[in-house]
Amino acid sequence: MRAATWTGVNEVSVETVPDPQILNDHDVILRVRRTTTCGSDLHLLGGYIPFMRAGDVLGHEFMGEVVEVGRGVRERKVGDRVVVNSFIACGHCWYCRQELYSLCDNGNPNPGITEALWGQSPGGCFGYSHAMGGWAGSHAEYIRVPYADVGAFVVPEGVSDERALFASDAVSTGWMGADLAGTKPGDVVAVWGAGGVGQMAARAAMLLGAERVYVIDRLPERLAQVREHVGAEVVDYSSTDVLAELREVTGGRGPDVCIEAVGMEAHSSGIQGAYDQVKQQLRLQTDRPSAVREAILACRKGGSVFVLGVFALMVDKFPLGAMMNKGLTVRGAQVHGQRYMPRILDHMARGELTTEHLATHVMPLEDAARGYQLFKDKADGCVRSVFVP
Amino acid sequence: MAVPRFLDSLRGAATEAGGALLGRLQHVRLPGVGQSSAADDPETAARRWRAVTVLCSPEQVGAGADLPAPLAALGDRLDLRITPAPGDRGTELAARYRDRASDDDLRALRSALRAAKQLIEVGEVLRVDPAPHGVRKPTPQGAALEGATARAGGEGVL
Repeated sequence: MRAATWTGVNEVSVETVPDPQILNDHDVILRVRRTTTCGSDLHLLGGYIPFMRAGDVLGHEFMGEVVEVGRGVRERKVGDRVVVNSFIACGHCWYCRQELYSLCDNGNPNPGITEALWGQSPGGCFGYSHAMGGWAGSHAEYIRVPYADVGAFVVPEGVSDERALFASDAVSTGWMGADLAGTKPGDVVAVWGAGGVGQMAARAAMLLGAERVYVIDRLPERLAQVREHVGAEVVDYSSTDVLAELREVTGGRGPDVCIEAVGMEAHSSGIQGAYDQVKQQLRLQTDRPSAVREAILACRKGGSVFVLGVFALMVDKFPLGAMMNKGLTVRGAQVHGQRYMPRILDHMARGELTTEHLATHVMPLEDAARGYQLFKDKADGCVRSVFVP
Repeated sequence: MAVPRFLDSLRGAATEAGGALLGRLQHVRLPGVGQSSAADDPETAARRWRAVTVLCSPEQVGAGADLPAPLAALGDRLDLRITPAPGDRGTELAARYRDRASDDDLRALRSALRAAKQLIEVGEVLRVDPAPHGVRKPTPQGAALEGATARAGGEGVL
């Protein structure tokens, strides 16, 4: 089959690779119909997560059609049109039973690496390095899906492939951030980052009852999408003092909930941006946390900060004093998508959650290298490149 | 021909180094670096109980020949401790060697505990290989990662 692979830092190729096969009873094989780039792929692409081998198949956000099922699969059958969560979870361990699916004890066959990094191992993730299990990704004609009864959800009739695709990760991640941050009716919510995840976090906050939602970014086309398709208000940090603006629009309190949807390659202006870039390039810190810092400083006393962006290891100048003295709740997670996907697909079917606008560049899988270049450079208004194998 | 042979040997050394790296972490004395014990002397570290919590009743873990096969395969060399976990979290399954354990022994025990937990909870041990992939460029970094990945099931804080 054909697949898009990581072949080195900032290099993507489309190659012929072996077809996947059923290896466990709970597997299905999917013919991929749509698969998309995600901002967190850029950390892999740029070599910031040094656990990729040349030839690894990229991609973790996808949907498709079941073409083969393992003998232990009960809920899925050949011909089902499904969307699959990006994290691989068994559904049987204590964490899965608590609906903390990305923390699954059994989804990562390489726990020694992540335990060495973080002290414990989370679950596995498709196409996201050997630290997260070495699972082949979705930018391919076919993909093997372990624990398919737990992670693959049938797409309701009437929901398009383009809409369902983003339930796999962008919407479920955004929804989780808004939910686990404790968003409730009447809240003011601020979201850092107007990419796919940030937009969907903002939309989820609105559906959960937030009275006002602000999304912070610098890219005009993304801010325009927020206004038009999400219905939230925007703050352009390239021309506005974010902390002053958020204080002003919240009566001096600050947002009740602050959601960071940027990650370890955060862009920021001024001396802070230069400082983080230099330290990261000198390997004196692994991650650039400017959006997390700002979220903590912006949040109202006693409020809640949720870190959705992917971070690898260590950061510098973390405002621990502000977090402690303001009595904040700070939380983060990879996506517990299985918990939210049924509800998300219902909202999609009712037209309350639309995602088609995120797919600004749809192209054949053979054009994956071009798609990643557009996405990385944010060129031509690219929000997401979507590949059709 | 000498250059390709030299490069092959370099890649072989990188694979070995990558595989050894995770194992070496077991002996690093820095808290939080990912080893089982940060402050223990090696003898004490090797004698510690290594435990997984399995979402099942103690009876479902089994005993003797009824233990999950990966643990049963280690036979009489192990002491086992099977106790209910607090808060309905299942059963704490702990094991340690009765005799002196090498690094390879401990690696085998970590793998066996993880596999036993999966067999009880899910009914099978998850496999990732063979996974589809493209051309593996023969780089030292790739070889080191291959070595680390090969050992990853038997290393970590367990």
